[in-house]
Amino acid sequence: MSDYILELKGITKIFPGVKALNNVQFQLKRGEVHALMGENGAGKSTFIKVITGVHKAEEGEMYLNGQKVDFKGPRDAQAAGIAAVYQHATSYPHLTVAENIFMGHEIIRHHMIQWKAMNEEANKLLQQLHTDFDATAEMGTLSVAQQQMVEIAKALSTNAQIIILDEPTASLTTRESEELYHIVDQLREKGVSVIFISHRFEDMYRLASRVTVFRDSQYIGTYNVDEITNADLIKAMVGREINDLFPKPDVKIGKEVLRIENYTRAGFYKDISFTVHAGEIVGMTGLVGAGRTEVIESVCGVTHQDSGKLYLDGKEIHIKQPSDAMKLGIVLLPEDRQKEGLIMSWGLGRNVTLPVIDKYAKTGLDNNQKEREIAKELLEEVDTKAVDIFQPASSLSGGNQQKVVVAKALSQEMKVVIMDEPTKGVDVGAKAEIYAILGDMAKKGYAIILISSEMPEILGMADRIVVMCNGRKTGELSREEATQEKILELSMEKGASDRKGAAN
Amino acid sequence: MAGKSGRSINNVPENPVKKALLSWEGILIVLFAAVNIFCIWFSEYYNISSVLRQMPVYLAEVFLMLAMAFILVLGEIDISVGSIVCLSATLTCMMSNTGAPFVIVVLTALVVGTICGMVNGLILTQFPELPPMIVTLATQIIFRGIAEIVLGSGGSISVKNTAGFKAIAGKIGTDIKVPYILFLVLILGVIFAVILGKSTFGRKVYAIGTNRVTAHYSGIHVQKIRFIIYTVMGTMSGLCALFMISSSYGANTTTGENFEMDAIAMAVFGGISSMGGKGNLAGGLISAFIITCLRIGLGQKNVYAQVILLIIGVLLICAVALPNIVQQIQKALSVKKKA
Repeated sequence: MSDYILELKGITKIFPGVKALNNVQFQLKRGEVHALMGENGAGKSTFIKVITGVHKAEEGEMYLNGQKVDFKGPRDAQAAGIAAVYQHATSYPHLTVAENIFMGHEIIRHHMIQWKAMNEEANKLLQQLHTDFDATAEMGTLSVAQQQMVEIAKALSTNAQIIILDEPTASLTTRESEELYHIVDQLREKGVSVIFISHRFEDMYRLASRVTVFRDSQYIGTYNVDEITNADLIKAMVGREINDLFPKPDVKIGKEVLRIENYTRAGFYKDISFTVHAGEIVGMTGLVGAGRTEVIESVCGVTHQDSGKLYLDGKEIHIKQPSDAMKLGIVLLPEDRQKEGLIMSWGLGRNVTLPVIDKYAKTGLDNNQKEREIAKELLEEVDTKAVDIFQPASSLSGGNQQKVVVAKALSQEMKVVIMDEPTKGVDVGAKAEIYAILGDMAKKGYAIILISSEMPEILGMADRIVVMCNGRKTGELSREEATQEKILELSMEKGASDRKGAAN
Repeated sequence: MAGKSGRSINNVPENPVKKALLSWEGILIVLFAAVNIFCIWFSEYYNISSVLRQMPVYLAEVFLMLAMAFILVLGEIDISVGSIVCLSATLTCMMSNTGAPFVIVVLTALVVGTICGMVNGLILTQFPELPPMIVTLATQIIFRGIAEIVLGSGGSISVKNTAGFKAIAGKIGTDIKVPYILFLVLILGVIFAVILGKSTFGRKVYAIGTNRVTAHYSGIHVQKIRFIIYTVMGTMSGLCALFMISSSYGANTTTGENFEMDAIAMAVFGGISSMGGKGNLAGGLISAFIITCLRIGLGQKNVYAQVILLIIGVLLICAVALPNIVQQIQKALSVKKKA
């Protein structure tokens, strides 16, 4: 038998117009956890899809247990014991956990689905993962982390020998990630080999023994995690050195710009007050579901608070809808780029100019010339990696999409900039660029609110940190006094005990 | 100003003429010619004057298509318009029979239609989560129901004083008589097409139809725009009702039946996607004339109305499937080229 349970050689995959993978290789040892890293667009996801039989490579060979295999489709890969858990769970929210686990391979006797057997079997799998919910629970009622566990249980139900996790921690909080780590440890003990993709270095250090790096569709190298430094790994991924990931500029903080007083919305958040000054970056953090986004959405008029007052430059303001906030110079860069931030099928130019269309096209008719000028200037200002302003937003990587969202915000006259998870799913190279833009904005004197779940980002960029937990503000820390421990403590203060309640 | 890395982003569009020739509208123009050649071969009565003579009754439905295009681009649908035509026509006939001046009669048609459209708009914007298909199905039943109550089951109403209606059904010209309604359709067609395709309002409609959430976050008054469009849909239904009366001098409980489907068919055949965010009124207008010519040509040789519907149905499926087929061919070709 070969040393490697899975080995791929010389894989090349061509999509119309691009070489998504160029002669890459990969080796997975039996029972190891292997990280696959690289910037967005490096070809990781395509590579995973080649392994799982979703895509067929134009060139290259794949060996499973030393034997050459040729998957015709995902079913072949599944039968061979390869299962993938994708970043966005592909579940059926209105079906039960058991139904989701056994979707496509239900337990059937006499042409009838054996519900009891299926539920029991599902519960057995869930017990192995030490979950705290039942197989009869409806999928849609579970948290993202719990849904991910169901996906893993689904992989186990097919007796998978190789499990692929595609950015499993992207939407998990620190504590939930910790639970996922335990599960991966258990899988390894059972002899399952795991490949996982992640942008988080913590994940890799905690779990993986080896790491393979792709860049620009090419194989860069495979390293032992113990033997490579952080800087070298970043260099391998990005292709250049990043000296300062958090270029926090020294800005003199000006007068108060935005003051939120006693904001309350039943069921979402209660009694939230804080201020933001010109040139200041206020970080808002807490676990996912702490109510950060909800507070901000009310400030920007997407939803409405039940009570509470909002002051801009010392004057009380009333905001009914997003356009009111924008008129006053309060601009939100929403969390979900694809659903809230951009129109993915539209060209970059039209996306950038959408909020200001009434301002530059004063006659009520389009002004294409003006639109193109504005778009070109702003997209170049944030250094978007794009060929022209007509290409659809969907053709860009996550980091560059985020830059387009920033350009769209910059098209407006702003006083307050609110960024909700601006680097979610963004690779390290683009992250550094986005932090640089953030720093520039502070220098220009904008009042900035940065919502983030990523501790290094909050600690690295914020002047002041507001921590929320279960819809309440549990603390406010200055840049000097803030530490990871203090923030964690505040963000889990009271809510830690009733996790079950929060999930349901 | 170039970016920090000195990267420059192109902002000059490619040659628009080349693009236009390969577009769906380009294909439709060819199809329009082909349909006319076919009709001339098929029917010896098919010529300019006969087409112009028979056109008005079909053109009345084009008013509906103009507003329906906006609703489809929003990614929504309004299936109550046929009933609005019926209710508006009924009440307009009654107003005419009271002896009111013709201006008041015209206003009645437009106001009744507008109010019905506002009802749709109000429900849909006050409860934005409701599906437009179901809401307008309900109002479809309600509006026609009101008309039936007024007319009595299976009843009808005729106008006694037809002078005004005859006037608006008039024609210009001596040899070739062009009906007023053709001018009105063309004028409104250009206005609606410019609003949808070239104005900031139109841009916002596309934004809402492609991604309503992003549009809302971008400061677009989504509900206000939806309300305006449903209201205008009602007004156009009233206008359609007015011209329906001017060709039949009356209304009955089946007036305007299936008009919403005709309007949707014209728009979709013109390349306007029912999923929202795609298509334009140039295509919608050409397709409206293709369907109108086809109906006239086949009708002249007494082809059953059902067969005409069947042909239009087949055309519609082809129109909807064609972009997919073209895409697949393009994909196959480009893969071959690169590999």
